[in-house]
Amino acid sequence: MRTIDVINRAGRSLKQAKVRTLLTSLAIAVGSFTLTLALAAGEGSRQYADKIISSNIDPQALMIVKDKSLFGEGGSMSGGLREYSANSSEYNGLTFKALSASDVKRIEEDKDIKKVTPTFLVSARFVTFEQKENKKYTTDITAFDTSVRPEVIAGSLPANGKQINDDEVVVPESFLDTLEIKDKQKFVGSGVILHLERPSKELSKEQVQEIMITKGIPGLEEASKPISMDVKLRVRAVSKKSVTSLSASNALFISENTARDLSDFMTKGTSQYQSYISVMALVKPGVDPATVKHRLEKHGMIVKTAKDLQGLLFTIVNLIQGIVIGFGVLALIASVFGIINTQYISVLERTQQIGLMKALGMRGRDVARLFRYEAAWIGFLGGVIGALLAWGVGTLLNPWITETIGLGEGNYILVFQFIPAVVLIISLMIVGIIAGYYPARKAAKLDPIEALRTE
Amino acid sequence: MIEVKNISKVYGKKSNKFQALTDVSFSIPKGASVAIVGKSGSGKSTLMHVMSGLDRPDSGLIIIDKQNILELKNKAVDLFRAQEIGFIFQSFFVQANESVADNVSLPLEIAQVDRAKREQKINTALKSVDLFDKIKNKAKDLSGGQKQRLAIARAIVNEPGIVFADEPTGNLDSATGDKIEDLLFELNKKNKVTLIIVTHDSDLAKKCDMRIHIRDGRVTKIDKTGDGK
Repeated sequence: MRTIDVINRAGRSLKQAKVRTLLTSLAIAVGSFTLTLALAAGEGSRQYADKIISSNIDPQALMIVKDKSLFGEGGSMSGGLREYSANSSEYNGLTFKALSASDVKRIEEDKDIKKVTPTFLVSARFVTFEQKENKKYTTDITAFDTSVRPEVIAGSLPANGKQINDDEVVVPESFLDTLEIKDKQKFVGSGVILHLERPSKELSKEQVQEIMITKGIPGLEEASKPISMDVKLRVRAVSKKSVTSLSASNALFISENTARDLSDFMTKGTSQYQSYISVMALVKPGVDPATVKHRLEKHGMIVKTAKDLQGLLFTIVNLIQGIVIGFGVLALIASVFGIINTQYISVLERTQQIGLMKALGMRGRDVARLFRYEAAWIGFLGGVIGALLAWGVGTLLNPWITETIGLGEGNYILVFQFIPAVVLIISLMIVGIIAGYYPARKAAKLDPIEALRTE
Repeated sequence: MIEVKNISKVYGKKSNKFQALTDVSFSIPKGASVAIVGKSGSGKSTLMHVMSGLDRPDSGLIIIDKQNILELKNKAVDLFRAQEIGFIFQSFFVQANESVADNVSLPLEIAQVDRAKREQKINTALKSVDLFDKIKNKAKDLSGGQKQRLAIARAIVNEPGIVFADEPTGNLDSATGDKIEDLLFELNKKNKVTLIIVTHDSDLAKKCDMRIHIRDGRVTKIDKTGDGK
């Protein structure tokens, strides 16, 4: 029998048992629905993560650190017993192995590196704004990243790749709410003062005695007082709240030079002076960042390319997607038994028809094919119903999800693609065929004489 | 020409052994109408199954057009049935939920007749049983007589050389049964189809050219109507 005829007959048999066909395929549709959503969510998250990374990290950038734990590898970020290193840096109460000045120099000397920017850790004791003079604020402060250009709602930013001036600061939009500032145009150009305080050096017994002898009590007070510095800056621009830009939303941006000066001031006289937790290096255009990465890794540095960072984010996305897919597969396994049951009963019900077909010279193989294709049709139907349902529900829910978790306009967490859907439906047809194997074999082995025995 | 030589068939094993056919031999000329007559359990159905290649005897030969079909492999026997044999059953075995056309199409699909040729063959077969106006109807909407006519159309659609009819009028009232009988003999004469009817109805048997009487698995008598065949 020709395949097309078998497919047609299989389709007709299913049409004759509409309710049963529909119910059986609904079981598969549940699996198909879950899997389609899982695939869509995975794709959406990946696209979203991609967007975040590409709007925050230059593809030619390398993140270089000395401490594995910064990338979540080789131990947790906090606690635990770790080897002591004289060249370590402290941040938020955690101790990390840091890159020394000579490490930075080594990176700078690499022939394929265009630019090196250490991550300066600047922490101001407090910040005051000219337009809110009697209040003090605290905030994170970071160096302005020339490779990322946030949108501005007031003021202006220098051309791409250019730094802001050393006495300028870029303020994120979200700060205006806290500051209760309505007129953002007037805010641009107003002053911001960063108040930095360096703890005094711990004095040894001998030093205390010496100061007592030479300068007396006032001298001692002077020596143990924290050293402070005020830096006056002027607002250059207000950056727009961006969901895909991680840094733009929650820190003050100062120029790289200012950041270096402030960082040096904060760490002067300590072991952390001119040592950095991480360094951002830009690889020359046209050079594969991975080759530079390998070279630097030979010197004991831990290097991540933009792609690696993407991989880290994708690992999480893939894990979550894997869990959801697992549930979908469970639903499918349940539906497999549904198909086996339906098809088995169908074989029993159609004993006579099978007998007739065999009497008329139909090969057992073709009878088996007929039942397998019926199962494949059920898989196809279930797959299409589930996928369409998922697509419909997803499309309806997308705007709501975006709004609820604040993804920002134009970003959708459920992204439906055609090819994976087709692959899914084909796989479900194969699942159907596998489920139909046993009933089909039963049909093929039926004895036509027994089947046609007149009651 | 169908030659049946020394066919024996045993069902079951040892204590349950049942001798269905014992040393059955006869020959049927091409284009004849033959009745295999016997009571139920006489072995007439088994004989039909064996002659059509549905069942295999334990010993003997069945030579149809000089070919011993018992020598053929299963696949070849299936092909032989699809191309050379039509079946008509007591309880019709039409597919109730399928259309009349789809019912008749089944043997053509099994014999892998080209799609282009099917429609014409189906139309011819349905016209010859006077069911052409019901071509789009579902088989379940037909009356008993119409169903058997549909079954006849299905049996002859692929122009087989032999048609087996197993109690073709057993489920029909006598008026309808007579019409079916007339139709069968008409097709037998017109299309030169060898018609083999399995029946216990002696009136039907009398209308045939030849009668093979079976009792307890043995041929007891073969008689022919003397009309020159």
